[in-house]
Amino acid sequence: MRKKIAIFLAAAMLVASFTGCGSSESKGENGELNVFIWTEYVSESAIAAFEEESGIKVNVSTYSSNEDMLAKLKSEAEGTYDVILPSDYAVEYLIAQDKLETLDKDALTNLSNISDTYLDPSYDPGNVYSVPYEGGVCCIAVNTDKVEKQITSYDDLFDESLADSIVVLDDFRAIIGLTERSMGLSMNETDPATLSEVEEKLLKLKNNVKLYDSDSPKSALISGDCSVGAVWSAEAALAMEENPAIEVVYPEEGAYVFMDNWSVPKGAKNYDNAMSFINYMLSADAAKMNIEDFPYLCPNDAALEMMGDDYVANEAKNVPADVISGGEFVKYLDSDSLAIYDEMWTKLKE
Amino acid sequence: MSGKKKSLEFSSNTLPAMVTVGPVVVIMTLLIAIPLIFVAVMSFCSIDEFYNIQFQFTADNYLRLANPDYVKIYVQSLFIAFFTTLLCILIGYPFSFVIARVKGKYKKILYMLVIIPFWTNSLIRIYGWRSFLGTSGWLNSFLMKVHLIQEPLDLLYKNGTTILGMVYCLIPFMILPLYTAIEKLDDSLLEASSDLGAHPAKTFVNVVLPLTAGGIFSGSLMVFIPCLGYFFVSDILGGGNSDVIGNLIERQFQSGNNWPLGAALSIVLILVTLIIVKIYQRLGGDMDALGV
Repeated sequence: MRKKIAIFLAAAMLVASFTGCGSSESKGENGELNVFIWTEYVSESAIAAFEEESGIKVNVSTYSSNEDMLAKLKSEAEGTYDVILPSDYAVEYLIAQDKLETLDKDALTNLSNISDTYLDPSYDPGNVYSVPYEGGVCCIAVNTDKVEKQITSYDDLFDESLADSIVVLDDFRAIIGLTERSMGLSMNETDPATLSEVEEKLLKLKNNVKLYDSDSPKSALISGDCSVGAVWSAEAALAMEENPAIEVVYPEEGAYVFMDNWSVPKGAKNYDNAMSFINYMLSADAAKMNIEDFPYLCPNDAALEMMGDDYVANEAKNVPADVISGGEFVKYLDSDSLAIYDEMWTKLKE
Repeated sequence: MSGKKKSLEFSSNTLPAMVTVGPVVVIMTLLIAIPLIFVAVMSFCSIDEFYNIQFQFTADNYLRLANPDYVKIYVQSLFIAFFTTLLCILIGYPFSFVIARVKGKYKKILYMLVIIPFWTNSLIRIYGWRSFLGTSGWLNSFLMKVHLIQEPLDLLYKNGTTILGMVYCLIPFMILPLYTAIEKLDDSLLEASSDLGAHPAKTFVNVVLPLTAGGIFSGSLMVFIPCLGYFFVSDILGGGNSDVIGNLIERQFQSGNNWPLGAALSIVLILVTLIIVKIYQRLGGDMDALGV
């Protein structure tokens, strides 16, 4: 008897698991869409609203670095993903490798919502392969209660008075990049002789850095463990909300700017659905939902008009347009130059 | 004659052997042997301008490992691993002795105190240390409240904090084999030593220590090796200021975008591990005591 019950239960579970599978993979009335996006970066309610409006079932996969995403794209079969969300240099890298589909601009009617400041970027002239989503700046956050020195530039981070008090992103392109900017150079220098000068200056930062943290640098600023930070603007914004003594400074040399973009990888199986999805994400409603959940910088003017003062008046969230136009994007580097950057970073962190 | 008998035995054992050992062999081949071979092959590959792996033989990756900056990090890793192991022995030995000697429910309670932290993800526990030791953390707040200190102590993001985190994560691996070794200790030997007039300290050095050395060895091995790779501890508690070999490997697979170099570093880590295990065996270590 007991055995029979066990068999019955096992069979019931098997059936249940099959139906479970079935329902999760069923297509919407208008087909499906496989999107591959950053974790904690696109509002779930915006995706749900798109599904409802379009009748397209969206399957979401996530990544936590551009490198993860690029590796997955290389290893998975072409056509696995229909929409991706690469950063500036990753877009450039994918274009150079001929791994992106051109976007159908006629389908992207909401592209007019995007401010001119963010269109026609250096990594994708004419936005042939990508349209901007959200972005940010590597800004300087200063706890004015603890730091007397007036900080206005990346160069000030090297000041001796800041010994053992800075939190910086654990990101070698960002930190070597700001060192280059502090010397009046581009963040994408590849000349070995120039880079050895950069290295000399970079190593002076060692004495000032207390913590390398990309995951949550705001924590060390809020807790007071660090009094200055070279962090993403959205992190600075959250730190400022917790501690009013923290101020955001945009470096006078011109800042490291990043922008994440909607793109379609080569061989996408649901191209038309991808266009509807991207167009929806460019709409004011969707952009507002996204910005409310993830308050990075918003290139969408129509959404900005609908945002409250807590976003618009906050300089760390609503980054001034001149900071963006005066800033620089990181470019992808050839493997030999990247190796030099990597070795400089190893020297800093040993 | 005997050869024939053997082959007969073989045939009658073939089916059961295939059923019992077969799946293990398949799993080991698929999940351990093939990936390892893949890593080894990759370590001899090169990359093109776009960081794509080129299956073209080169020893460059291994030559790059001799880079003085890398060597500095290997030494730093070994240094951190050595002090972590030493501290684990110093703290773990008396603790294991107590667990092995107390009776009844206290033994269970002490044993559970070692086991329970395992039920929580080590990453979360390490973040816990961060908020405990921070400038405005519990420890500093408490010390300032009782007026032992005026200014908060600067405890985080140093080599010492990394070692603290490693000790905290890995000490159960020291305590469990030590406990097993001490548990087996025969009381009559201690009595005999004392009857023959040995001072307790002398008994400890000449009787207890040699008899429990196996536990110390296997515990040390279980602590020392993970230390070389626990990059998250050095990232979170060391503030990224004291990289270990694990950090170097992680970086090559991420922002460094050089998988073959990362593979070569992994192979080095595997070789270092094998050498340490060999030393352990030479010193008379028992592989079964490792629970592997």
